[in-house]
Amino acid sequence: MRRERSGLGPDWHVGGELAARYAAGTAAESEAWSLEKHVEACGACAAVVSSAVRAGPETGPLLAGIRAAVLERAVQEPRESVGSRAYANNGTGPAIGTTVTGAGTSTTTVTGAATSTTTVTGAGTTGVPPRLSRAARVVWAAGPALRGAWLVALVIVALGAVALSYGAGLGASVRPLLLVTAPVLPLAGVALSYGLHADPLYEIATSTPAGGLRLLLTRAAAVLAVSVPALTLAGAVLPVAAGGPGAAAWLLPGLALTLAALALGSFVGGRRGAAAVGAAWLAFVVAPAAAGGPAGAALMAGASPYFAGPAVQSGWAAGAVACALLLAARRRSFDHLETP
Amino acid sequence: MSAKVTGLTVRHRRNTALDAVDLDFAPGVHGLLGPNGAGKTSLIRVLATVSPPDAGQVELLGTEVGRGADHRERASVRRRLGYLPQVFGYYPGFTVREFVGYVAWLKEMDGAQVAAAVERAVDRVGLGERIDAKVKTLSGGMVRRVGIAQAIVNEPALLLLDEPTAGLDPEQRVEFRALLREVGRTSTVIVSTHLVEDVAAACSDVTLIEAGRIAYRGTTAELIELGDAADELGGNPIERGYTAALRAHRTAVGA
Repeated sequence: MRRERSGLGPDWHVGGELAARYAAGTAAESEAWSLEKHVEACGACAAVVSSAVRAGPETGPLLAGIRAAVLERAVQEPRESVGSRAYANNGTGPAIGTTVTGAGTSTTTVTGAATSTTTVTGAGTTGVPPRLSRAARVVWAAGPALRGAWLVALVIVALGAVALSYGAGLGASVRPLLLVTAPVLPLAGVALSYGLHADPLYEIATSTPAGGLRLLLTRAAAVLAVSVPALTLAGAVLPVAAGGPGAAAWLLPGLALTLAALALGSFVGGRRGAAAVGAAWLAFVVAPAAAGGPAGAALMAGASPYFAGPAVQSGWAAGAVACALLLAARRRSFDHLETP
Repeated sequence: MSAKVTGLTVRHRRNTALDAVDLDFAPGVHGLLGPNGAGKTSLIRVLATVSPPDAGQVELLGTEVGRGADHRERASVRRRLGYLPQVFGYYPGFTVREFVGYVAWLKEMDGAQVAAAVERAVDRVGLGERIDAKVKTLSGGMVRRVGIAQAIVNEPALLLLDEPTAGLDPEQRVEFRALLREVGRTSTVIVSTHLVEDVAAACSDVTLIEAGRIAYRGTTAELIELGDAADELGGNPIERGYTAALRAHRTAVGA
Protein backbone atom coordinates (compact mmCIF):
# COMPACT_ATOMS: atom_id res chain seq x y z
CA MET A 1 0.00 0.00 0.00
CA ARG A 2 2.85 2.32 0.87
CA ARG A 3 4.48 1.60 -2.50
CA GLU A 4 1.28 2.41 -4.30
CA ARG A 5 0.92 5.73 -2.54
CA SER A 6 4.49 6.84 -3.00
CA GLY A 7 4.31 5.96 -6.66
CA LEU A 8 7.79 4.43 -6.58
CA GLY A 9 8.91 0.94 -7.48
CA PRO A 10 9.60 -1.62 -4.75
CA ASP A 11 13.32 -1.56 -5.49
CA TRP A 12 13.75 2.17 -5.11
CA HIS A 13 16.25 3.26 -2.42
CA VAL A 14 17.77 6.51 -1.29
CA GLY A 15 21.04 7.26 -3.07
CA GLY A 16 23.98 9.05 -1.43
CA GLU A 17 23.49 12.11 -3.60
CA LEU A 18 19.80 12.49 -2.69
CA ALA A 19 20.59 11.96 0.98
CA ALA A 20 23.18 14.75 0.83
CA ARG A 21 20.74 17.16 -0.84
CA TYR A 22 18.06 16.23 1.69
CA ALA A 23 20.45 16.87 4.57
CA ALA A 24 21.41 20.25 3.07
CA GLY A 25 17.75 21.14 2.67
CA THR A 26 18.02 21.53 -1.12
CA ALA A 27 16.03 18.45 -2.19
CA ALA A 28 12.80 19.16 -4.09
CA GLU A 29 9.65 18.86 -2.05
CA SER A 30 8.38 15.76 -3.86
CA GLU A 31 11.78 14.07 -3.47
CA ALA A 32 11.90 14.91 0.24
CA TRP A 33 8.39 13.57 0.64
CA SER A 34 9.24 10.26 -1.06
CA LEU A 35 12.39 9.96 1.00
CA GLU A 36 10.60 10.57 4.30
CA LYS A 37 7.93 8.02 3.41
CA HIS A 38 10.55 5.49 2.37
CA VAL A 39 12.80 5.70 5.45
CA GLU A 40 9.82 4.90 7.68
CA ALA A 41 10.04 1.34 6.38
CA CYS A 42 13.63 0.96 5.14
CA GLY A 43 16.28 0.76 7.86
CA ALA A 44 19.24 0.78 5.44
CA CYS A 45 18.14 4.04 3.81
CA ALA A 46 17.36 5.58 7.20
CA ALA A 47 20.98 4.92 8.16
CA VAL A 48 22.21 6.54 4.92
CA VAL A 49 20.09 9.66 5.56
CA SER A 50 21.14 9.78 9.24
CA SER A 51 24.83 9.76 8.42
CA ALA A 52 24.30 12.43 5.76
CA VAL A 53 22.50 14.66 8.25
CA ARG A 54 25.16 14.09 10.92
CA ALA A 55 27.82 15.12 8.39
CA GLY A 56 26.03 18.39 7.60
CA PRO A 57 27.86 21.56 8.68
CA GLU A 58 24.86 22.96 10.60
CA THR A 59 22.88 19.88 11.54
CA GLY A 60 25.91 17.84 12.61
CA PRO A 61 26.95 19.91 15.67
CA LEU A 62 23.29 20.43 16.64
CA LEU A 63 22.59 16.69 16.67
CA ALA A 64 25.82 16.00 18.53
CA GLY A 65 24.79 18.53 21.17
CA ILE A 66 21.35 16.95 21.57
CA ARG A 67 22.91 13.50 21.77
CA ALA A 68 25.27 14.65 24.54
CA ALA A 69 22.38 16.25 26.43
CA VAL A 70 20.29 13.10 26.11
CA LEU A 71 23.07 10.89 27.38
CA GLU A 72 23.82 13.22 30.27
CA ARG A 73 20.15 13.30 31.30
CA ALA A 74 19.66 9.59 30.83
CA VAL A 75 22.43 8.95 33.33
CA GLN A 76 21.22 11.57 35.82
CA GLU A 77 17.49 10.86 35.74
CA PRO A 78 16.18 8.25 38.12
CA ARG A 79 14.53 5.39 36.26
CA GLU A 80 11.06 5.80 37.72
CA SER A 81 10.58 9.32 36.40
CA VAL A 82 10.68 8.03 32.85
CA GLY A 83 7.25 6.43 33.01
CA SER A 84 5.49 9.55 34.21
CA ARG A 85 7.04 11.61 31.44
CA ALA A 86 5.66 9.29 28.78
CA TYR A 87 2.58 11.49 28.76
CA ALA A 88 4.43 14.79 28.47
CA ASN A 89 3.39 16.61 25.35
CA ASN A 90 6.44 17.68 23.42
CA GLY A 91 4.65 20.87 22.50
CA THR A 92 5.02 20.46 18.76
CA GLY A 93 4.01 16.96 17.79
CA PRO A 94 0.92 14.95 18.57
CA ALA A 95 1.03 13.76 22.14
CA ILE A 96 -0.93 10.63 21.43
CA GLY A 97 1.57 9.34 18.90
CA THR A 98 4.40 10.08 21.27
CA THR A 99 2.73 8.21 24.08
CA VAL A 100 2.15 5.13 22.00
CA THR A 101 5.48 4.90 20.27
CA GLY A 102 7.19 6.02 23.45
CA ALA A 103 6.56 2.65 25.07
CA GLY A 104 10.25 1.81 24.61
CA THR A 105 12.29 3.43 27.34
CA SER A 106 14.88 4.92 25.03
CA THR A 107 12.32 6.73 22.86
CA THR A 108 10.62 8.17 25.91
CA THR A 109 13.85 9.48 27.30
CA VAL A 110 14.71 11.16 24.02
CA THR A 111 11.32 12.90 23.95
CA GLY A 112 11.76 14.14 27.47
CA ALA A 113 15.27 15.43 26.93
CA ALA A 114 14.54 17.16 23.65
CA THR A 115 11.78 19.14 25.30
CA SER A 116 13.62 19.91 28.50
CA THR A 117 12.97 23.64 28.11
CA THR A 118 9.23 23.16 27.68
CA THR A 119 9.03 20.78 30.59
CA VAL A 120 10.88 23.11 32.91
CA THR A 121 8.75 26.15 32.10
CA GLY A 122 5.64 23.98 32.36
CA ALA A 123 6.56 22.94 35.86
CA GLY A 124 6.95 26.56 36.86
CA THR A 125 3.42 27.56 35.89
CA THR A 126 1.42 24.38 36.34
CA GLY A 127 3.42 22.43 38.90
CA VAL A 128 1.32 23.85 41.71
CA PRO A 129 -2.18 22.43 41.37
CA PRO A 130 -4.85 25.12 41.49
CA ARG A 131 -6.53 24.04 44.70
CA LEU A 132 -9.89 25.61 45.28
CA SER A 133 -11.26 26.65 48.59
CA ARG A 134 -14.40 24.95 49.81
CA ALA A 135 -16.58 28.00 49.13
CA ALA A 136 -15.23 28.34 45.61
CA ARG A 137 -16.01 24.69 44.99
CA VAL A 138 -19.64 25.15 45.97
CA VAL A 139 -20.03 28.12 43.64
CA TRP A 140 -18.24 26.10 40.96
CA ALA A 141 -20.57 23.16 41.53
CA ALA A 142 -23.51 25.51 41.32
CA GLY A 143 -23.06 25.33 37.60
CA PRO A 144 -24.58 27.49 34.94
CA ALA A 145 -27.22 29.41 36.89
CA LEU A 146 -24.84 31.47 38.97
CA ARG A 147 -22.90 32.62 35.92
CA GLY A 148 -25.69 33.15 33.44
CA ALA A 149 -28.64 35.28 32.57
CA TRP A 150 -30.44 34.42 35.78
CA LEU A 151 -27.89 36.24 37.90
CA VAL A 152 -28.32 39.30 35.73
CA ALA A 153 -32.10 39.05 36.11
CA LEU A 154 -31.74 38.82 39.88
CA VAL A 155 -29.54 41.89 40.06
CA ILE A 156 -31.90 43.82 37.80
CA VAL A 157 -34.93 42.97 39.97
CA ALA A 158 -33.20 43.72 43.27
CA LEU A 159 -31.45 46.91 42.19
CA GLY A 160 -34.33 47.89 39.91
CA ALA A 161 -36.78 47.83 42.79
CA VAL A 162 -34.54 50.10 44.85
CA ALA A 163 -33.88 52.42 41.90
CA LEU A 164 -37.56 52.73 41.01
CA SER A 165 -38.50 53.36 44.60
CA TYR A 166 -35.95 56.05 45.35
CA GLY A 167 -34.64 57.19 41.97
CA ALA A 168 -37.97 57.38 40.16
CA GLY A 169 -39.80 58.56 43.24
CA LEU A 170 -42.30 55.70 43.25
CA GLY A 171 -41.64 55.13 46.94
CA ALA A 172 -43.64 52.49 48.76
CA SER A 173 -45.65 51.50 45.68
CA VAL A 174 -42.72 49.36 44.40
CA ARG A 175 -42.84 47.05 47.41
CA PRO A 176 -45.84 44.93 46.32
CA LEU A 177 -44.26 44.47 42.88
CA LEU A 178 -41.12 43.05 44.45
CA LEU A 179 -43.24 40.90 46.75
CA VAL A 180 -45.05 39.10 43.92
CA THR A 181 -41.93 38.81 41.73
CA ALA A 182 -39.45 37.55 44.33
CA PRO A 183 -40.90 34.05 44.93
CA VAL A 184 -40.50 33.00 41.29
CA LEU A 185 -36.88 34.15 40.96
CA PRO A 186 -35.26 31.27 42.90
CA LEU A 187 -37.53 28.93 40.99
CA ALA A 188 -36.23 30.30 37.70
CA GLY A 189 -32.65 30.04 38.95
CA VAL A 190 -33.05 26.38 39.86
CA ALA A 191 -34.74 25.61 36.54
CA LEU A 192 -31.85 27.25 34.69
CA SER A 193 -29.15 25.38 36.58
CA TYR A 194 -29.99 21.73 36.06
CA GLY A 195 -31.64 19.42 33.59
CA LEU A 196 -31.73 18.40 29.99
CA HIS A 197 -32.54 21.84 28.62
CA ALA A 198 -30.54 23.98 31.01
CA ASP A 199 -27.23 22.25 31.71
CA PRO A 200 -24.85 21.69 28.79
CA LEU A 201 -23.04 19.06 30.86
CA TYR A 202 -26.26 17.31 31.84
CA GLU A 203 -25.63 13.96 30.15
CA ILE A 204 -22.01 13.77 31.30
CA ALA A 205 -23.02 14.80 34.83
CA THR A 206 -25.72 12.13 34.95
CA SER A 207 -23.10 9.45 34.29
CA THR A 208 -21.06 10.56 37.33
CA PRO A 209 -21.51 9.62 40.99
CA ALA A 210 -22.02 13.29 41.97
CA GLY A 211 -24.74 13.87 39.37
CA GLY A 212 -28.46 13.53 39.97
CA LEU A 213 -30.37 14.87 42.95
CA ARG A 214 -27.26 15.76 44.93
CA LEU A 215 -25.96 18.07 42.22
CA LEU A 216 -29.43 19.50 41.71
CA LEU A 217 -29.79 20.30 45.43
CA THR A 218 -26.28 21.77 45.58
CA ARG A 219 -27.18 24.10 42.76
CA ALA A 220 -30.59 24.91 44.26
CA ALA A 221 -28.86 25.77 47.53
CA ALA A 222 -26.42 28.05 45.73
CA VAL A 223 -29.31 29.77 43.94
CA LEU A 224 -31.13 30.31 47.24
CA ALA A 225 -27.94 31.46 48.97
CA VAL A 226 -27.63 34.27 46.42
CA SER A 227 -31.27 35.17 45.86
CA VAL A 228 -32.59 35.11 49.42
CA PRO A 229 -30.24 37.77 50.84
CA ALA A 230 -30.38 39.89 47.68
CA LEU A 231 -34.17 40.03 47.45
CA THR A 232 -34.76 40.30 51.19
CA LEU A 233 -32.27 43.16 51.48
CA ALA A 234 -33.85 44.93 48.55
CA GLY A 235 -37.24 44.55 50.26
CA ALA A 236 -35.85 45.79 53.56
CA VAL A 237 -34.46 49.04 52.17
CA LEU A 238 -37.68 49.94 50.37
CA PRO A 239 -39.93 52.46 52.15
CA VAL A 240 -42.41 50.72 54.42
CA ALA A 241 -45.97 50.53 53.17
CA ALA A 242 -48.64 50.88 55.77
CA GLY A 243 -50.18 47.57 56.76
CA GLY A 244 -48.31 45.50 54.16
CA PRO A 245 -46.40 42.28 54.88
CA GLY A 246 -42.72 42.53 55.86
CA ALA A 247 -39.64 42.17 53.66
CA ALA A 248 -39.25 38.46 54.56
CA ALA A 249 -42.83 37.51 53.74
CA TRP A 250 -41.87 36.08 50.34
CA LEU A 251 -39.39 33.55 51.78
CA LEU A 252 -41.74 30.67 52.56
CA PRO A 253 -43.77 31.07 49.36
CA GLY A 254 -40.47 31.19 47.43
CA LEU A 255 -39.20 28.02 49.10
CA ALA A 256 -42.50 26.21 48.54
CA LEU A 257 -42.55 27.16 44.86
CA THR A 258 -38.96 26.01 44.34
CA LEU A 259 -39.59 22.65 46.01
CA ALA A 260 -42.87 22.25 44.11
CA ALA A 261 -41.03 22.80 40.83
CA LEU A 262 -38.39 20.22 41.74
CA ALA A 263 -40.98 17.66 42.82
CA LEU A 264 -43.08 18.22 39.72
CA GLY A 265 -39.92 18.18 37.61
CA SER A 266 -39.14 14.66 38.80
CA PHE A 267 -42.18 13.54 36.82
CA VAL A 268 -42.21 15.79 33.79
CA GLY A 269 -38.66 17.19 33.55
CA GLY A 270 -37.11 20.23 35.20
CA ARG A 271 -38.07 22.83 32.62
CA ARG A 272 -41.72 21.81 32.39
CA GLY A 273 -41.97 21.56 36.18
CA ALA A 274 -40.66 25.08 36.68
CA ALA A 275 -42.77 26.49 33.86
CA ALA A 276 -45.93 24.91 35.27
CA VAL A 277 -45.32 26.21 38.79
CA GLY A 278 -44.42 29.66 37.48
CA ALA A 279 -47.58 29.74 35.38
CA ALA A 280 -49.67 28.62 38.35
CA TRP A 281 -48.20 31.43 40.46
CA LEU A 282 -49.05 33.93 37.75
CA ALA A 283 -52.59 32.62 37.30
CA PHE A 284 -53.59 31.99 40.91
CA VAL A 285 -51.69 34.70 42.81
CA VAL A 286 -50.42 37.51 40.59
CA ALA A 287 -53.50 37.83 38.38
CA PRO A 288 -56.09 37.94 41.21
CA ALA A 289 -53.83 40.22 43.28
CA ALA A 290 -53.48 42.66 40.41
CA ALA A 291 -57.22 42.68 39.70
CA GLY A 292 -57.68 45.85 41.75
CA GLY A 293 -54.72 47.66 40.19
CA PRO A 294 -51.29 46.82 38.76
CA ALA A 295 -49.22 48.68 41.40
CA GLY A 296 -49.28 50.71 44.57
CA ALA A 297 -51.78 50.37 47.35
CA ALA A 298 -54.28 48.48 45.21
CA LEU A 299 -51.78 45.73 44.36
CA MET A 300 -50.61 45.62 47.95
CA ALA A 301 -54.18 45.15 49.11
CA GLY A 302 -54.69 42.43 46.54
CA ALA A 303 -51.42 40.59 47.32
CA SER A 304 -51.58 40.79 51.11
CA PRO A 305 -53.94 37.83 51.58
CA TYR A 306 -51.33 35.57 49.94
CA PHE A 307 -48.50 36.64 52.24
CA ALA A 308 -49.72 38.26 55.47
CA GLY A 309 -50.66 36.48 58.65
CA PRO A 310 -49.44 33.39 60.50
CA ALA A 311 -52.12 31.15 58.99
CA VAL A 312 -51.11 31.96 55.39
CA GLN A 313 -47.41 31.60 56.17
CA SER A 314 -48.07 28.27 57.91
CA GLY A 315 -49.90 27.16 54.79
CA TRP A 316 -46.82 27.93 52.65
CA ALA A 317 -44.61 26.13 55.16
CA ALA A 318 -46.84 23.06 55.06
CA GLY A 319 -46.76 23.16 51.27
CA ALA A 320 -42.97 23.38 51.30
CA VAL A 321 -42.72 20.37 53.64
CA ALA A 322 -45.13 18.34 51.51
CA CYS A 323 -43.14 19.10 48.35
CA ALA A 324 -39.88 18.24 50.12
CA LEU A 325 -41.33 14.86 51.17
CA LEU A 326 -42.52 14.17 47.63
CA LEU A 327 -39.09 15.12 46.31
CA ALA A 328 -37.43 12.74 48.78
CA ALA A 329 -39.74 9.94 47.66
CA ARG A 330 -38.90 10.68 44.03
CA ARG A 331 -35.14 11.05 44.60
CA ARG A 332 -34.19 8.00 42.52
CA SER A 333 -35.82 9.48 39.43
CA PHE A 334 -32.83 11.82 39.19
CA ASP A 335 -30.43 8.88 38.79
CA HIS A 336 -31.11 8.76 35.07
CA LEU A 337 -31.67 11.18 32.22
CA GLU A 338 -35.05 12.87 32.19
CA THR A 339 -37.15 11.88 29.19
CA PRO A 340 -37.37 14.75 26.72
CA MET B 1 -16.51 -9.63 31.78
CA SER B 2 -16.39 -5.87 32.35
CA ALA B 3 -19.80 -5.29 30.85
CA LYS B 4 -22.61 -7.76 30.37
CA VAL B 5 -26.22 -7.23 29.37
CA THR B 6 -28.87 -9.93 29.33
CA GLY B 7 -32.27 -9.57 27.71
CA LEU B 8 -31.73 -5.82 27.47
CA THR B 9 -34.78 -4.03 26.15
CA VAL B 10 -35.06 -0.26 25.74
CA ARG B 11 -38.15 1.51 24.50
CA HIS B 12 -38.68 5.12 23.52
CA ARG B 13 -42.39 5.64 23.89
CA ARG B 14 -43.82 3.07 21.47
CA ASN B 15 -40.61 2.34 19.55
CA THR B 16 -38.37 -0.50 20.64
CA ALA B 17 -34.78 0.73 20.43
CA LEU B 18 -33.21 -2.49 21.74
CA ASP B 19 -35.01 -5.82 21.70
CA ALA B 20 -33.87 -8.43 24.26
CA VAL B 21 -30.17 -8.01 23.51
CA ASP B 22 -27.52 -10.25 25.08
CA LEU B 23 -23.93 -8.95 24.94
CA ASP B 24 -20.71 -9.10 26.90
CA PHE B 25 -17.47 -7.17 26.64
CA ALA B 26 -14.02 -8.05 28.02
CA PRO B 27 -11.08 -5.61 28.26
CA GLY B 28 -10.04 -4.41 24.81
CA VAL B 29 -11.46 -2.07 22.19
CA HIS B 30 -14.89 -3.00 20.85
CA GLY B 31 -16.57 -1.39 17.89
CA LEU B 32 -20.30 -0.85 17.75
CA LEU B 33 -21.44 -0.47 14.16
CA GLY B 34 -24.84 -0.10 12.60
CA PRO B 35 -27.03 2.11 10.48
CA ASN B 36 -28.37 5.35 11.97
CA GLY B 37 -31.19 4.67 14.40
CA ALA B 38 -30.17 1.03 14.89
CA GLY B 39 -29.92 1.42 18.66
CA LYS B 40 -26.20 2.16 19.14
CA THR B 41 -26.78 5.28 21.24
CA SER B 42 -29.49 3.55 23.28
CA LEU B 43 -27.04 0.75 24.11
CA ILE B 44 -24.18 3.14 24.96
CA ARG B 45 -26.51 5.17 27.21
CA VAL B 46 -27.58 2.09 29.14
CA LEU B 47 -23.93 1.02 29.51
CA ALA B 48 -23.05 4.55 30.68
CA THR B 49 -25.81 4.19 33.34
CA VAL B 50 -27.58 7.35 32.17
CA SER B 51 -30.60 5.45 30.78
CA PRO B 52 -32.38 2.70 32.71
CA PRO B 53 -33.24 -0.49 30.83
CA ASP B 54 -36.95 -1.21 30.34
CA ALA B 55 -36.20 -4.90 30.83
CA GLY B 56 -33.17 -7.10 31.37
CA GLN B 57 -30.00 -7.08 33.45
CA VAL B 58 -27.04 -4.73 33.10
CA GLU B 59 -23.89 -5.78 34.92
CA LEU B 60 -20.94 -3.43 34.80
CA LEU B 61 -17.58 -4.18 36.45
CA GLY B 62 -19.24 -6.99 38.37
CA THR B 63 -22.11 -4.90 39.73
CA GLU B 64 -25.76 -4.83 38.68
CA VAL B 65 -26.70 -1.25 37.73
CA GLY B 66 -30.05 -1.65 35.98
CA ARG B 67 -33.40 -0.25 37.04
CA GLY B 68 -33.93 -0.67 40.77
CA ALA B 69 -30.24 -1.33 41.46
CA ASP B 70 -28.73 0.05 44.65
CA HIS B 71 -27.86 3.74 44.30
CA ARG B 72 -24.54 3.46 46.15
CA GLU B 73 -23.38 0.50 44.12
CA ARG B 74 -24.24 2.30 40.92
CA ALA B 75 -22.30 5.33 42.17
CA SER B 76 -19.24 3.18 42.84
CA VAL B 77 -19.41 1.88 39.25
CA ARG B 78 -19.82 5.45 37.98
CA ARG B 79 -16.53 6.46 39.62
CA ARG B 80 -14.80 4.00 37.28
CA LEU B 81 -16.69 4.98 34.12
CA GLY B 82 -15.75 7.32 31.32
CA TYR B 83 -18.48 8.54 29.00
CA LEU B 84 -18.47 10.77 25.95
CA PRO B 85 -22.03 11.42 24.78
CA GLN B 86 -22.72 12.09 21.13
CA VAL B 87 -23.72 15.65 21.96
CA PHE B 88 -22.31 17.60 24.86
CA GLY B 89 -21.80 21.23 25.77
CA TYR B 90 -19.68 23.28 28.12
CA TYR B 91 -20.06 26.30 30.35
CA PRO B 92 -19.18 29.41 28.35
CA GLY B 93 -16.45 30.75 30.60
CA PHE B 94 -14.66 27.46 31.23
CA THR B 95 -11.10 26.77 30.14
CA VAL B 96 -10.06 23.28 29.07
CA ARG B 97 -8.47 22.76 32.48
CA GLU B 98 -11.60 23.88 34.32
CA PHE B 99 -13.89 21.77 32.16
CA VAL B 100 -11.93 18.55 32.63
CA GLY B 101 -11.35 19.43 36.31
CA TYR B 102 -15.06 19.94 36.83
CA VAL B 103 -15.84 16.49 35.46
CA ALA B 104 -13.05 15.03 37.62
CA TRP B 105 -14.77 16.64 40.58
CA LEU B 106 -18.13 15.18 39.50
CA LYS B 107 -16.45 11.77 39.33
CA GLU B 108 -15.43 12.26 42.96
CA MET B 109 -11.74 11.84 42.26
CA ASP B 110 -9.28 12.36 45.07
CA GLY B 111 -8.79 16.14 45.24
CA ALA B 112 -5.03 15.83 45.65
CA GLN B 113 -4.73 13.98 42.34
CA VAL B 114 -7.15 15.97 40.23
CA ALA B 115 -4.69 18.64 39.00
CA ALA B 116 -2.14 16.11 37.74
CA ALA B 117 -4.82 13.83 36.29
CA VAL B 118 -6.38 16.74 34.39
CA GLU B 119 -3.04 17.72 32.85
CA ARG B 120 -2.30 14.13 31.90
CA ALA B 121 -5.70 13.61 30.27
CA VAL B 122 -5.42 16.86 28.31
CA ASP B 123 -1.90 15.93 27.19
CA ARG B 124 -3.08 12.54 26.03
CA VAL B 125 -5.55 14.10 23.61
CA GLY B 126 -2.84 16.45 22.33
CA LEU B 127 -4.23 19.68 23.81
CA GLY B 128 -1.47 20.27 26.36
CA GLU B 129 -0.64 23.65 24.87
CA ARG B 130 -4.26 24.80 24.92
CA ILE B 131 -5.05 23.69 28.47
CA ASP B 132 -5.68 27.24 29.67
CA ALA B 133 -7.58 28.33 26.56
CA LYS B 134 -11.32 28.94 26.85
CA VAL B 135 -13.23 25.99 25.41
CA LYS B 136 -15.35 28.34 23.31
CA THR B 137 -12.24 29.52 21.42
CA LEU B 138 -11.44 25.96 20.24
CA SER B 139 -12.41 24.38 16.94
CA GLY B 140 -15.05 21.64 16.77
CA GLY B 141 -12.44 18.89 16.56
CA MET B 142 -10.60 20.28 19.58
CA VAL B 143 -13.82 20.48 21.61
CA ARG B 144 -14.40 16.81 20.84
CA ARG B 145 -10.90 16.06 22.09
CA VAL B 146 -11.72 17.96 25.29
CA GLY B 147 -14.73 15.63 25.52
CA ILE B 148 -12.42 12.64 25.21
CA ALA B 149 -10.13 14.11 27.87
CA GLN B 150 -12.99 14.42 30.37
CA ALA B 151 -13.94 10.80 29.65
CA ILE B 152 -10.45 9.43 30.40
CA VAL B 153 -9.51 11.79 33.25
CA ASN B 154 -10.29 9.15 35.90
CA GLU B 155 -8.46 6.39 33.99
CA PRO B 156 -11.76 4.52 33.64
CA ALA B 157 -12.06 0.75 33.74
CA LEU B 158 -14.95 1.08 31.31
CA LEU B 159 -14.86 3.76 28.63
CA LEU B 160 -17.93 4.47 26.49
CA LEU B 161 -17.63 6.70 23.47
CA ASP B 162 -20.56 7.63 21.26
CA GLU B 163 -19.37 8.75 17.81
CA PRO B 164 -16.08 10.10 19.19
CA THR B 165 -14.47 10.75 15.79
CA ALA B 166 -17.22 13.04 14.52
CA GLY B 167 -15.59 16.37 13.70
CA LEU B 168 -12.01 15.08 13.89
CA ASP B 169 -9.84 15.52 10.81
CA PRO B 170 -8.04 12.46 9.38
CA GLU B 171 -4.79 13.08 11.26
CA GLN B 172 -6.60 13.55 14.55
CA ARG B 173 -8.55 10.34 13.89
CA VAL B 174 -5.31 8.42 13.47
CA GLU B 175 -4.01 9.81 16.76
CA PHE B 176 -7.29 9.12 18.46
CA ARG B 177 -7.29 5.46 17.36
CA ALA B 178 -3.80 5.08 18.79
CA LEU B 179 -5.08 6.46 22.09
CA LEU B 180 -7.99 3.99 22.00
CA ARG B 181 -5.66 1.05 21.50
CA GLU B 182 -3.50 2.25 24.36
CA VAL B 183 -6.47 2.66 26.75
CA GLY B 184 -7.81 -0.72 25.55
CA ARG B 185 -4.73 -2.52 26.82
CA THR B 186 -6.00 -2.30 30.38
CA SER B 187 -9.61 -1.08 30.11
CA THR B 188 -12.76 -2.04 28.30
CA VAL B 189 -13.46 0.50 25.57
CA ILE B 190 -16.74 0.47 23.66
CA VAL B 191 -16.91 2.83 20.69
CA SER B 192 -20.03 3.48 18.70
CA THR B 193 -19.30 4.74 15.23
CA HIS B 194 -20.66 4.79 11.72
CA LEU B 195 -17.15 4.86 10.26
CA VAL B 196 -16.06 1.31 9.51
CA GLU B 197 -12.44 2.44 9.10
CA ASP B 198 -12.40 3.47 12.78
CA VAL B 199 -13.28 -0.10 13.64
CA ALA B 200 -10.70 -1.56 11.26
CA ALA B 201 -7.94 0.58 12.72
CA ALA B 202 -8.71 0.54 16.43
CA CYS B 203 -11.05 -2.28 17.41
CA SER B 204 -10.27 -5.90 18.13
CA ASP B 205 -13.85 -6.95 17.58
CA VAL B 206 -17.09 -5.71 16.16
CA THR B 207 -20.74 -5.81 17.14
CA LEU B 208 -23.16 -4.96 14.39
CA ILE B 209 -26.57 -3.67 15.46
CA GLU B 210 -29.56 -3.44 13.18
CA ALA B 211 -33.05 -2.36 14.22
CA GLY B 212 -32.44 -3.07 17.92
CA ARG B 213 -30.96 -6.53 17.44
CA ILE B 214 -27.46 -7.96 17.14
CA ALA B 215 -26.82 -8.62 13.45
CA TYR B 216 -23.22 -9.81 13.76
CA ARG B 217 -20.48 -10.35 16.30
CA GLY B 218 -16.92 -11.29 15.52
CA THR B 219 -13.36 -10.10 15.43
CA THR B 220 -12.38 -7.34 13.06
CA ALA B 221 -10.33 -9.88 11.08
CA GLU B 222 -13.39 -12.10 10.65
CA LEU B 223 -15.46 -9.20 9.36
CA ILE B 224 -12.71 -8.38 6.86
CA GLU B 225 -12.61 -12.04 5.78
CA LEU B 226 -16.34 -11.92 5.24
CA GLY B 227 -15.74 -8.90 3.02
CA ASP B 228 -13.00 -10.69 1.08
CA ALA B 229 -15.51 -13.41 0.25
CA ALA B 230 -18.04 -10.86 -1.01
CA ASP B 231 -16.07 -9.38 -3.88
CA GLU B 232 -19.08 -8.18 -5.84
CA LEU B 233 -19.88 -5.47 -3.28
CA GLY B 234 -18.00 -2.20 -3.65
CA GLY B 235 -15.59 -0.58 -1.18
CA ASN B 236 -12.73 -1.98 0.85
CA PRO B 237 -12.89 -5.42 2.53
CA ILE B 238 -14.22 -4.24 5.88
CA GLU B 239 -16.94 -2.15 4.23
CA ARG B 240 -17.89 -5.16 2.17
CA GLY B 241 -17.86 -7.30 5.31
CA TYR B 242 -20.15 -4.81 7.03
CA THR B 243 -22.60 -4.82 4.13
CA ALA B 244 -22.45 -8.61 3.75
CA ALA B 245 -23.09 -9.20 7.46
CA LEU B 246 -25.96 -6.71 7.48
CA ARG B 247 -27.59 -8.30 4.43
CA ALA B 248 -27.19 -11.81 5.81
CA HIS B 249 -28.92 -10.67 9.00
CA ARG B 250 -31.76 -9.02 7.09
CA THR B 251 -32.29 -12.18 5.04
CA ALA B 252 -32.32 -14.29 8.22
CA VAL B 253 -34.80 -11.95 9.93
CA GLY B 254 -37.01 -11.74 6.84
CA ALA B 255 -37.09 -15.52 6.41
